[in-house]
Amino acid sequence: MSDIKTLAIEKLNELNPEYPELIEDIVVANKKIYLSLKTDKSKVDKFTKIKLQIENELAVIDGVDSVSVSLTSHSDAIQAKAIPQENASGVSEVRNIISVASGKGGVGKSTTSINLAIAINQLGFSVGLLDADVYGPSIPKLVGDRQKPKKSKAGKILPIKKYNISLMSIGFLVPEDSPMIWRGPMVISAVNQMLNDVEWGKLDYLVVDMPPGTGDVQLTMAQRVPMSGAVIVSTPQDLALIDARKGIEMFKKVNIPILGIIENMSTFICPNCKNESHIFGFEGAKLEANNQKVDFLGDIPLEIDLRECSDNGKPIILSKTDSVVSKKFLEIAKSVTKKVGDESSSSKPNIIIN
Amino acid sequence: MIPENIILSENKKELTLEYGATKSVMSAEFLRVNSPSAEVKGHSPAQKKTVSGKRAVSINSIELVGNYAIKLIFDDGHATGIYTWQYLKELFNGKDKIWKEYITELRKKGLNRD
Repeated sequence: MSDIKTLAIEKLNELNPEYPELIEDIVVANKKIYLSLKTDKSKVDKFTKIKLQIENELAVIDGVDSVSVSLTSHSDAIQAKAIPQENASGVSEVRNIISVASGKGGVGKSTTSINLAIAINQLGFSVGLLDADVYGPSIPKLVGDRQKPKKSKAGKILPIKKYNISLMSIGFLVPEDSPMIWRGPMVISAVNQMLNDVEWGKLDYLVVDMPPGTGDVQLTMAQRVPMSGAVIVSTPQDLALIDARKGIEMFKKVNIPILGIIENMSTFICPNCKNESHIFGFEGAKLEANNQKVDFLGDIPLEIDLRECSDNGKPIILSKTDSVVSKKFLEIAKSVTKKVGDESSSSKPNIIIN
Repeated sequence: MIPENIILSENKKELTLEYGATKSVMSAEFLRVNSPSAEVKGHSPAQKKTVSGKRAVSINSIELVGNYAIKLIFDDGHATGIYTWQYLKELFNGKDKIWKEYITELRKKGLNRD
């Protein structure tokens, strides 16, 4: 059999001295020659002729019944490639994305998000805030601004700049009182759009104000962007803590580090008699943080000032800088940025494709 | 739990995961027939499908999914499997057992790898 192989190669050499160099593989079995030739994709016509010529010539070798020539082209093979996360153009220059979440609604996520974002900015970082609560966007109200976002030259949506923070919310795009009556897929595409089609630019931090629950938005965010960590907001109340626990579990499942828990509405100090009341229970979130082995980032008391500033569209951290609440937010911002710095060394695999 | 390197072989048929000093090599076929996708696993163990005839399957591309998983895109068009770090580790640890079970399953159902 090897004789046929040698003869075949000699024959190819006779036909054209370049042909033997094209041989990728030659196998002789059961009086058949299987020959595969390297080809240039751009010269398909030429190689088709060569193929016929070779088949005819080799077929006349003694002891050969048939010849099968196949043309292979390497540039033709499907090129495998590592696709970078679809984490999409919009947030590609954002260094850290942190989400503010809770299982339950109404615990003060949005108020916490905006104050935290401004506090992080006061520490000297550039900050953006994405309101991912598509059904109940609160950020426009909290910053007292409802202007429509403009488009950049590249056709992207420019975030609203307010209090030195880049902001985006579905609330900037629809009238305040009109509800978003959307099914899941619409919500997902809205979130994707706020990630991809908004020109966030270079930011040190993007704070994401999550809607309550563990659904479409949370999952989309977890899959589309590499998040540095999540901050959980809860009241000390058992009812809220049950849901906060679910939130923590969700982030653990998708491998997003929990930066810690903030206890909101922790105590109420009566402005008249200065008596402290634990309206929603005492230190529930702190205990929960211990149980879940996550950090306790701080407690924010229930204060009339905080509520008033929020409703007036001027976050407390800017309007009452000396208040206990403002100081607490700054402390929390310090812990959060420090933790993100520690966590960002957390590994991400290298994808290598040969 | 997170592999340091994920390496796709030149012929696109083998995926190597490197965890520090330990290495795990899995074939594209093995990964394909054990895809965590609902298309394969269904929504309960009773709905699990036995995928057959994937001996020649190869991996076209790999996508990172957030911080927790990779998505493998196979050349047969299957692209819905999200392989979490944990699931990959489970596959690696139970490789031989899972593979034997698969072969048994194929025989029982009169299916084959080609």
